[in-house]
Amino acid sequence: MTVLGDIMKKTPNEKKILAKMQPGIITYGGFLGTDKRSYLQIIADDEKALEALGKTAEEIADRLEFFQQKSFDSFEASTVVDDTWEVETEVVRGYLPCPFLHQGMYRKSYTTVKNLKSKKSFTFSALNIHLIRVHHFFEGKNSHFRMEPADLLKELF
Amino acid sequence: MDISAFVLFWAAIFTSNILLTNFLGMCSYLSVSREIESSAGLGVAVIFVLTVTSALNWLVYNYILLPFDIVYLQYIVFIIVIAAFVQFLELLIERYAPALYYTLGIFLPLITVNCAIFGVSLFMIIRNYNFLQSIAFGAGSGIGWLLAIMMLAGIRRKLKEKMVPQGLQGAGISLIITGIMAMGFVGFSGIVQIQ
Amino acid sequence: MITRILTDVALMSAIGGILALIMVIAQRWLSNYGEVSININGKRELKVTGGNTLLSTLSDQQIFIPSACGGRGSCGACKCKVESGGGPLLPTERPLLTKEEMASNVRLACQVKVKSDIHIHIPESIFNIRRFNSVVEEIIDYTYDIKGITFKLIEGQSIDFKAGQYVQLESQPYEKIKDKVIRAYSISSKPELKDRIQLIIRQVPDGICTTWVHKHVKVGDKVNFTGPYGDFYLRDTEADILFVAGGSGKAPIKSILEHLKEVGTERRMTYFFGARTRKDLYLSEEMQAFEKVFTQFEYVPVLSHPETEDNWTGKTGFVMPYFKDAIRDPKNTEAYLCGSPGMISAVTKSLKEYGIYEDKIYYDSFG
Repeated sequence: MTVLGDIMKKTPNEKKILAKMQPGIITYGGFLGTDKRSYLQIIADDEKALEALGKTAEEIADRLEFFQQKSFDSFEASTVVDDTWEVETEVVRGYLPCPFLHQGMYRKSYTTVKNLKSKKSFTFSALNIHLIRVHHFFEGKNSHFRMEPADLLKELF
Repeated sequence: MDISAFVLFWAAIFTSNILLTNFLGMCSYLSVSREIESSAGLGVAVIFVLTVTSALNWLVYNYILLPFDIVYLQYIVFIIVIAAFVQFLELLIERYAPALYYTLGIFLPLITVNCAIFGVSLFMIIRNYNFLQSIAFGAGSGIGWLLAIMMLAGIRRKLKEKMVPQGLQGAGISLIITGIMAMGFVGFSGIVQIQ
Repeated sequence: MITRILTDVALMSAIGGILALIMVIAQRWLSNYGEVSININGKRELKVTGGNTLLSTLSDQQIFIPSACGGRGSCGACKCKVESGGGPLLPTERPLLTKEEMASNVRLACQVKVKSDIHIHIPESIFNIRRFNSVVEEIIDYTYDIKGITFKLIEGQSIDFKAGQYVQLESQPYEKIKDKVIRAYSISSKPELKDRIQLIIRQVPDGICTTWVHKHVKVGDKVNFTGPYGDFYLRDTEADILFVAGGSGKAPIKSILEHLKEVGTERRMTYFFGARTRKDLYLSEEMQAFEKVFTQFEYVPVLSHPETEDNWTGKTGFVMPYFKDAIRDPKNTEAYLCGSPGMISAVTKSLKEYGIYEDKIYYDSFG
């Protein structure tokens, strides 16, 4: 799909979704970062990457939700899971809607998982889990909550 | 047109029912016929507006459009007259008869765009009715419209407890029923010839 | 030919013009209900221009009755009691009202038209909700990421709220943010101050409104907010009180304590504040000062992750284990919690185990 084809073929729904992903609409920085690709292309590219890695987006979402649940179980305070990951969640007032025009709101909870061996850490919100599970959307390059599927696989499994 | 106003009145109700033979005024007919009470209220409002606007439009046509030779503008003029009258009526009723307003007035905005009203005004010009005939035709058409919507509302009430295939629910089954009713009415159309 | 066109256009315009004139005159004569008064709860009398719906007339007067459908009579959210002057019940209202509501004069505000003097009754909490204009008077840095901001109401406005309630702040567009957003923050000042409020706002990473507040708002800026909202407020009883707060949850508790200082109380109170490290603690002196104001008050900060350079000698870990000593009689204790949902559920669970009644546990959860 060419970039031009993208622009020509945008449905009203896609335009609405694109508008929701802009900075300052749902989040301060938006969902696309500095990515020039369309969000459909981002999803398609990440799906291809996942296929090569042999994991599904659902499995990744399950894993993230598992860490989130672990930190909820310890009342959001920091806790160590399986001696390898340090997890902690920060919750602030309010909810975020899904940019894909889905019903439902996602709590502003930010879970940070740190791999104690590699010292690498990821921060994701409740909305990210939904975006990955349902829309296979890992956000655009350099977006605040962009997570590379390959990195996630390497550090969190 | 040589036909007595009295005969025209009855013909407009039964044998040339504006809704069931000309299929005019369908939108509000389909949407409001869900309840008998609302149907009756809307029907009464239609009778009143039809009678008065056919008289008004007859006067406008014969004393303004014809003498000044601007008959080709009749569509626009009729629509403006109807809209203005309905709006005026709404204001008047709301102010001086609040009780009537609450039963009848809330349906008035629906009538402004009812094509049966416009249709009656055009028919009376095309068929060359005189003033008295126009009023009779207007009133008769209104009563005919009331009759049709009340019948459909009655049938739809019975339908509520019946199993209607999903694809036909709502407007679908209503249109089929209207078609069957129309066949019944068209059967009588030979009795009086009004056009 | 040209005269023909001109006369036809003139005639057409004349017909339209005459009808329009009739309508304008009719509108003036028929729809002019003059100035009528709305009496609310027998307390406040509004002079308004008649002819519009009760809902829109009240919102013009900055009284916002909840409405989800925007006045089309389909949601039934705008119910209110019309004691007199509302006219007969409309067919458009009937389907949304129960028999009891009809009997007690409940109406839909979006359907009732204000045509004569009218007497209505609305809940006190709604009655107080208004949109306020204010000027930023003072900005205090409590910690590296928490600010206390005082908004002074302008044009002689005054706000009536209960200690513990919150307002919704409207942010203005800035940088690449093109729209204003609305976010809720608890009031941290006492309700006795009616011409200003203070909010305690913590910078949220990537938060649209908090970034605006922290990076762009200056003293003297004009800021609008609506309120007060919320059912988290101090109950007027004699029971012992446990306050538990975390993060920016200190705001409503501060309001409650300052209010109690104003009215005076003999109630036994303990205030647990949970934070991560010493640099997350704030307003400590102010809270400790309350220990001298009240006869029975104790402020207990608890750090979950004190760092070695903090030299923390106070309590550590979760706050829950420390409740035991603070609860004198669980059957006669109220708890006021403000913090994240995780903290609220953990504390609620623990308090119930200590024997505190669930309906005596009041909380303001972030969310």
